[in-house]
Amino acid sequence: MIVLGSTSEVAQAFVEKALQEGEKYEKIYLFTSSRETTERFARHIDVKFLQQSEVIELDLMKEIDYTRFENVSSNLLFCATGYLGDGTEEGLYDNKNTERIININYSKLVPVMNYFAQKFESRRSGTIIGLSSVAGDRGRQSNFIYGSAKAAFTAYLSGLRNYLFDKKVHVLTIKPGFMETKMTEGLPLNPKLTAKPKQAAAVIYNAYKKQKNVAYVLPIWGIIMMIIRNIPEFIFKKLKL
Amino acid sequence: MKPNFIQKVTNWGNFPVVEKEMKSEDSFKKIKEFVLNHNEVIARGNGRCYGDASLGEHIFSTKKLNKFISFDRLNGIIECESGVLLSDVLEITVQQGYFLYVTPGTKFISVGGAIASDVHGKNHHSEGCFSEYVIEFKLMTENGEIITCSRESNAEKFWATVGGMGLTGIILTAKFKLKNIDSAYIRQESIKAENLDEIFRLFDESESWTYTVAWIDCLQKGKNIGRSILMRGEHAFQHELPQSMANSPLRLKKKFQPTVPFYFPGFVLNALTVKIFNLLYYKKQSKKEVKSFIDYETYFYPLDFVNDWNKIYGKSGFIQYQMVIPKESGKEGMKKILETIANSGNGSFLAVLKLFGKDNPQAYNSFPMEGYTLALDFKVNSKLKKLVEQLDNIVQEFGGRIYLTKDSMSKSSLTNYLKNIQSPKFVSLQHKRIINNN
Ligand SMILES: Cc1cc2nc3c(=O)[nH]c(=O)nc-3n(C[C@H](O)[C@H](O)[C@H](O)COP(=O)(O)OP(=O)(O)OC[C@H]3O[C@@H](n4cnc5c(N)ncnc54)[C@H](O)[C@@H]3O)c2cc1C
Repeated sequence: MIVLGSTSEVAQAFVEKALQEGEKYEKIYLFTSSRETTERFARHIDVKFLQQSEVIELDLMKEIDYTRFENVSSNLLFCATGYLGDGTEEGLYDNKNTERIININYSKLVPVMNYFAQKFESRRSGTIIGLSSVAGDRGRQSNFIYGSAKAAFTAYLSGLRNYLFDKKVHVLTIKPGFMETKMTEGLPLNPKLTAKPKQAAAVIYNAYKKQKNVAYVLPIWGIIMMIIRNIPEFIFKKLKL
Repeated sequence: MKPNFIQKVTNWGNFPVVEKEMKSEDSFKKIKEFVLNHNEVIARGNGRCYGDASLGEHIFSTKKLNKFISFDRLNGIIECESGVLLSDVLEITVQQGYFLYVTPGTKFISVGGAIASDVHGKNHHSEGCFSEYVIEFKLMTENGEIITCSRESNAEKFWATVGGMGLTGIILTAKFKLKNIDSAYIRQESIKAENLDEIFRLFDESESWTYTVAWIDCLQKGKNIGRSILMRGEHAFQHELPQSMANSPLRLKKKFQPTVPFYFPGFVLNALTVKIFNLLYYKKQSKKEVKSFIDYETYFYPLDFVNDWNKIYGKSGFIQYQMVIPKESGKEGMKKILETIANSGNGSFLAVLKLFGKDNPQAYNSFPMEGYTLALDFKVNSKLKKLVEQLDNIVQEFGGRIYLTKDSMSKSSLTNYLKNIQSPKFVSLQHKRIINNN
């Protein structure tokens, strides 16, 4: 398994879920921008599941040396890379913030995804799982920079799925709603709309096994976003969402 | 949306409830910042202490310190971060033939919480407290330094921290020993006792058993006072087991786990329902003595079988009152305690009686001392304060003490045995309450 964004609690929970289900991997490649915490996770899965892994540094804000990834090969890619950044009030006119959001969620990420997609394509097998966001379903005033990057990422995954279909590679888009993670710690989230990483991992694993195309972590988000998507623009622009 | 870390926090008894800052980090650098940037910090594991011990102005939750570090499968030594739960430990070690030396009545507590409360189990008389098996731990002190504490290095901090209720710093990681087991099952004998005399005799007779504990019906009066069931157990060897268990002796089948969906309304638990529960519990076992093999989860963690069972006590919550009375006067003291409870009409759903063995004098902050310990659950209501006062007086009269990790309203003179803890940085609501009452 290849994991992009290995410090993500959802990614870690997914790795544990797969191992618990008895999946075996020659090696798990843990790509991360934070070596220290990821190495702790690597040791953790070794103790718990006797699972070998390798920690590989990947900082999307820096130049990427692809030769380092040559030996990385697997049948499953899990991409949890993401960066929420500051919302509009604090972050809209802060160019650094905007760039970082766009780079990490989309523009710098896609070439890395493509690098691995190509490997999958040539092997003619495998699954690519991408964590996008409900924020990409419609731009809302509270976080549309993040939302627009995720919208682009959703479109990318959808196109990739279409492109890889007859090459026997499956692409799964996950749209988590609120999740109880580092990204959202301290935010006043409605517990009924918020999933725990373990819960999310179970849903994603299930969707992966069933070869779903797009899945919301909590079904309620599918309904919420359907409503939000269908509000006519002349009303939508007046709402404070 | 701006992050706001102020939230409602409460422990297992749902009493008291506070609105304070609670944060969790997994990077040691950020934990250090948290410690240095706040005046009053307290660590919190899984909130399974009942009262106010892990509540404070700035709560550091160890829930993200949830990784294993190493497992020496040959010698049964495991190292993990402090937020790892005992249930996580058991999940990997039981299959390998290892069990915790000491476990409390729930497996949903963190390793940090086990050290900070120096928890005891049904085997205190034979195997002591959790600390006996701790090899070393890493502690973040008030200046953000990380020190390794063991019997050899930083020994003073080691012993002050064991049972020190989080007041010496934040335990980050811990290394401890495990015991060999041949199966995941317990050979159990449960014996009914008609009264206190009989149950005390049974405890004495069972001294050679590793595990002993008794469930006591505390609504009985007169000659029936102390009616109870003693359960003693040993880890079963594979060859003793019935065929169905012996086939894969270290693996248990998955069980269905019911969850209590919401807080029960206040009237559900009253003297009458408690009486009925206890009656059914004691009538269930019709024979005087029953021998059986049961899986370790049913034996050690019968209450974990229902998720969130604390909600049956309703929104006002409940307390657990656990005290120990020195052995010489144990019987007399227990009798007085049980009489007082029976007369108060404030029934306890759950009452557990145990005999503690000798304490480890080095672990001066730990709760156990040689004698009888009783743990009782009481719903919080207007009569409770008075009952606790009465019970406290009896405990004092007999030279006993109460267990800090369950305390939230007892007299401070029974609880202030915390020694060598003077850091103004690590402060819990409990500690403040104790100091202010002095
Ligand atoms: C059903 C049930 C049965 C129980 N049975 C028993 C029993 O048989 N024997 C027994 O001894 N106890 C028993 N307990 C009590 C329980 O074992 C202790 O309260 C334990 O300390 C809870 O651990 P926790 O991880 O939930 O910690 P918390 O409840 O969050 O905290 C408990 C104390 O530990 C401190 N602490 C927690 N983590 C750290 C850390 N990393 N560093 C420093 N300090 C820390 C806190 O500050 C606090 O003082 C029982 C509790 C329940 C709910």
